[in-house]
Amino acid sequence: MVLHKFKSNPLAAVFILVSIVVIASANQFPDGSNLGPGFFPIIVSVGIIAFGIVDILVDDDTQLEMSNFSMTPAVIMFAFLVGYLLLMPITGFLVGTMLFLPIALYYSTVRSKLMIALISIGLPILLFYVFGRIFMVRLPEGIIPISRLLPQLPM
Amino acid sequence: MVLTDIATGFANVLDPLILTLMVVGVLLGILMGSIPGMTATMTIAVLLSFTFTLEPATGMMLLLGIYGGAVYAGSIPAILIRTPGTPSAAATIFDGYPLSKKGEAGRAIRVSTVASFVGGIISVLALMFLSPVIANAALEFRSPEFFALSVFGLTIIASVSGDSVPKGMISGLLGMLIATIGIDPITGYQRFTFDIPNLMGGIEFIAVMIGLFGIAEGLRKYAQGINDEQDKPDQNITGVLPSLSDMKSIAPISIGSGIVGSLIGAIPGAGGDIASFITYNEATRWLKNTTPSFGDGNIRGVAAAESGNNASTGGALIPTFTLGIPGDSVSALLIGALMVHNVNPGPGLYEDESGLLYTIFVGFLLIYVIILVFGLLGANYWARLINIPQAYLWPVIFVLCAIGAIALSGTVFNAWVMVAAGILGFVMRLRGYPLAPMVLGLILAPIAEENLRRSLEISGGSVDIFYTSPIALTVLLLSIATIAVPAIRAVRN
Repeated sequence: MVLHKFKSNPLAAVFILVSIVVIASANQFPDGSNLGPGFFPIIVSVGIIAFGIVDILVDDDTQLEMSNFSMTPAVIMFAFLVGYLLLMPITGFLVGTMLFLPIALYYSTVRSKLMIALISIGLPILLFYVFGRIFMVRLPEGIIPISRLLPQLPM
Repeated sequence: MVLTDIATGFANVLDPLILTLMVVGVLLGILMGSIPGMTATMTIAVLLSFTFTLEPATGMMLLLGIYGGAVYAGSIPAILIRTPGTPSAAATIFDGYPLSKKGEAGRAIRVSTVASFVGGIISVLALMFLSPVIANAALEFRSPEFFALSVFGLTIIASVSGDSVPKGMISGLLGMLIATIGIDPITGYQRFTFDIPNLMGGIEFIAVMIGLFGIAEGLRKYAQGINDEQDKPDQNITGVLPSLSDMKSIAPISIGSGIVGSLIGAIPGAGGDIASFITYNEATRWLKNTTPSFGDGNIRGVAAAESGNNASTGGALIPTFTLGIPGDSVSALLIGALMVHNVNPGPGLYEDESGLLYTIFVGFLLIYVIILVFGLLGANYWARLINIPQAYLWPVIFVLCAIGAIALSGTVFNAWVMVAAGILGFVMRLRGYPLAPMVLGLILAPIAEENLRRSLEISGGSVDIFYTSPIALTVLLLSIATIAVPAIRAVRN
């Protein structure tokens, strides 16, 4: 019965396990048992374990809405996002975004080539000027800093 | 003194940049609020990075414009297609959609606009005149009281922001645990940093919020199906002003709901959705035997819900500014926006930054005037925003999330923090865990930890210090009650 409950609520079980690891790790901190740096993480972790056990015991997964969900599109979009960020140190923000957007837009069923081109080229340039040139945020440039070729703002 | 501060605030908000950003914020808020699924929280999380280099007051005007605009505009799809643009507008459906079915969508939207204005203005006035009194009282608070308040903030948001108190508490405590990563504020010891230099300064909580409200929400949308066909509204909205008889009819209920909504909004965790349901419910109790009855297209039902949810916006800022405890997830983001500028909300803010505060208060009043004007003039245009395909929006939102996280420190590291928070938030929501408590946990953890440890050090490790202070004891008992009462009720059921 208890094992079934654990299986039906794996996330609570994961949170409990993480909390146990945190307690073990925080106990190694200096003054871990006293009011040292480990004190608060231990208290919080004990709280997670306590509420996690209650959650496992009272959880009713018939209320979950997962049956209405198809995970594949979310996983694919997540993979695009991870790829975009992984490649950003190489491509830089400007080029990376110009590559990410058409793929993401097309996958999201946008079929207008004009709109895909406008958004994929216009938005990265706009954001580059707003953040890189006006707000002076250091955006990743990549191994070939193409963004430096864009003209400076007249200000 | 207060009147001088208000006059200074008026002078400050007349700056052309501030005025422009208010208008931009309101328009962005109306745009996003009109599209079902695009919440004020998500919009602010995604666009927060645009305020990093602005002056605090200027940036806040953009964000508050989005906040007010989105909460107002959520009513438009609720009325037209029976789908709330934001969760706050769910109660507006009850009477707004029946009005739309009778061919009176324009009337419902105009009533909603005026009621939103009334509720918003009442709440900002409450914020303006009530919060200094609370802040003044809070100046007497010491470590035990602040620890008790942080516990109360967490327990109440956990109990109101989802169906399950244990899930809410787990979410809040996880937020607290994440906040302990980095250098211990008291001893300087590095906790859970795994020798990763980027973790030594702690997890950037704005990156976590962008992940929780931007990425997680986007992934959820893709899992639900990006091409969900919306019903198309088939009514043209004509006319600008509500009729005099409608104005007379909604005036008392709008004012009453504005007062109740402001009070509910001031309770940490009780956002616009709860406020609007309660004010709608109260309206049905106050006004019995009305024609048409509530649920059949009564404009006073629309007014009650809309005044209530907009009133929660100013109400939510009362605990945010006076105690540093966010009233809802949007105000948690606003705290983040202020902390980027080394402005720490709490009672000291009213002594150190009164100019900034009153500029924000007066600006928020003006934002509601802008909402009234744009809402009435542009109703026909806002109604068409519902048709914007979400397939265009989400890829753009993902890019805005990424640049928002990168802009925090100029490195991709925070974008990875955002992605990790996004996937955690996505999985947690699938399993029914609310995310708002996690954000509150992130904000409250430093307050709770510092004041807990300091209190125990003062008392030599004795917990007596928490029950010898009447305020701390009362607040802690309230915290226990917020968890125990639903638990006892659940056991009885």
